[in-house]
Amino acid sequence: MSDRERDSTGGGRREFFLTGCAAVGLASAGFVVSTFRYLVPTVLYEPPARFTIGSPSSFPPGSVTFLEDRRLFLFNGQDGFFTVSSVCTHLGCNVKRAASGFECPCHGSRFDENGRVVHGPAPAPLAWYALSLSPRGELIVDLERTVGPDFRLKA
Amino acid sequence: MASPRFPRTRAWLDETARSVWRIGWPRTDKDRAAVMISSFFLHLPPARVSRHVLRPSYTLGLGLISAILFGVLTVTGLALMLYYVPHPPEAYRSVMDLQSVVTFGVILRNMHRWSAHAMVFVVFLHLCRVFWTGSYKRPREFNWVVGVVLLLLTLALSFTGYLLPWDQLAFWAITVGTNIAAYAPVVGDQVKFLLLGGHVIGPMTLLRFYVLHCVFLPLAVAVLISVHVWRVRKDGLSGAPEGSKPVEETAGVFPPSTKTWGLMALTRRPTVSVEARDPEDEVFAWPHLLYRELLVALGVVIALHVVSLLFMAPLEEMADPTRTPNPAKAPWYFLGLQELVHYSAFVGGVLVPTLIVVALLALPYVDRHPRGVGRWFAPERRVANAIFTAVVAVATVLTIIGTLFRGPNWAWTWPW
Repeated sequence: MSDRERDSTGGGRREFFLTGCAAVGLASAGFVVSTFRYLVPTVLYEPPARFTIGSPSSFPPGSVTFLEDRRLFLFNGQDGFFTVSSVCTHLGCNVKRAASGFECPCHGSRFDENGRVVHGPAPAPLAWYALSLSPRGELIVDLERTVGPDFRLKA
Repeated sequence: MASPRFPRTRAWLDETARSVWRIGWPRTDKDRAAVMISSFFLHLPPARVSRHVLRPSYTLGLGLISAILFGVLTVTGLALMLYYVPHPPEAYRSVMDLQSVVTFGVILRNMHRWSAHAMVFVVFLHLCRVFWTGSYKRPREFNWVVGVVLLLLTLALSFTGYLLPWDQLAFWAITVGTNIAAYAPVVGDQVKFLLLGGHVIGPMTLLRFYVLHCVFLPLAVAVLISVHVWRVRKDGLSGAPEGSKPVEETAGVFPPSTKTWGLMALTRRPTVSVEARDPEDEVFAWPHLLYRELLVALGVVIALHVVSLLFMAPLEEMADPTRTPNPAKAPWYFLGLQELVHYSAFVGGVLVPTLIVVALLALPYVDRHPRGVGRWFAPERRVANAIFTAVVAVATVLTIIGTLFRGPNWAWTWPW
């Protein structure tokens, strides 16, 4: 086959072949991406992020309650209710109440009464979650809404 | 030998045996070579090996021991799978059953656990040996990379297996471990979500870790061990005496004349591929190499039995997401990292491990100086050995501190 012939006939064939290869490559890449999507769970059977924890009257004024299933501290302070997460922002261990504030058993992070880092490797203060009242007057915690340490719920 | 009494039966039996074994029990040098080459299970080692390679003081048999441990882990793991239920809380109960009522269950579990720890340790020692003898140099660079990946897979196998008993130790070690992954920049949270199959460690996490531990990772390790050993064959064994080229079959280059094993073994007329080797320096793999390997395997299995009879694999209370034990520790091989994480999660959990892995992978392509290969602590490699030894020493000290000197709230305590 001469060069001229290859240009006129082979070129078209080569182009067709390259296009085909690109199409197959693209389809394979799409396949890989879709397969990766398979690994991401679409249904989670986890506890809901918004839940009631009972009537305000069951938490006496001045009390601190550790809701261990929810990994939350519920405070009933002088000016209202607020919740502080017990999940250490470092590596996810449960912090414990200490003389003044919180202590994490895993890597020794310490937090003050408001959850601010006092000492240790924790990179961020403990999360505060929004509290609200249900129509029936029960306390609702919303783990998807974090609030500042000035948050109080009067109930 | 006197003529057999039933010649036709003997001949029939002999033929049947040949159909299974191809070569019978080898009695001549020719058969000793043939038996190695013509058997699927024996073809991985060469028919003849250099005496240098057989010296236990050179390799310490660490690669072999790692492979044996992987074999033990596969067998004991398969046995454990017959009773283990990968769903909480039955997972914990099934491990309790293995521990208390299943016949030989406690030995199998102990052996699996201690072999796993031993494998991490031995694979790490193997890496150190290969570094200290400079064995990762050309043409074995890529096999070093395969080895590093095998080390990472070994750690991944150990880590995924750690969660399966679903006790407090497992739960919190994996909590700490997966939260470290979440510190990876940009994709950290997504990686954690994928690993856990959700936001918190739960049934999905256990199932994912189980499948990774029992199927994906062992398959990957089995394939890579095969590649690793194959490349040892193809790239040549390190540690040939100074002066001779440690080349057996250079990748992509085939000897111009391909002599058969028969000619190599019988005529002593070296083909090009064996020219660099001194035939006088070599012995037949059968029996010299195989008997040694069998002895090592026997020793390892005996040692594992003794340890498994004497020491119980740890099993704490059932996992309780609401109660963090104090202190909560990762598996021992990650305690060096946890010690660093105690100072900074990003530095200890992401930066340092990433740097170490990248440095290990790039090492043979950066350190290209061809001198000092095949000897322990060659003086030509003083700088490289000093740097590596320092890193190993720091890692060891951090791991020891994390394991023995850290108590409640990760405060300093004395182990005595």
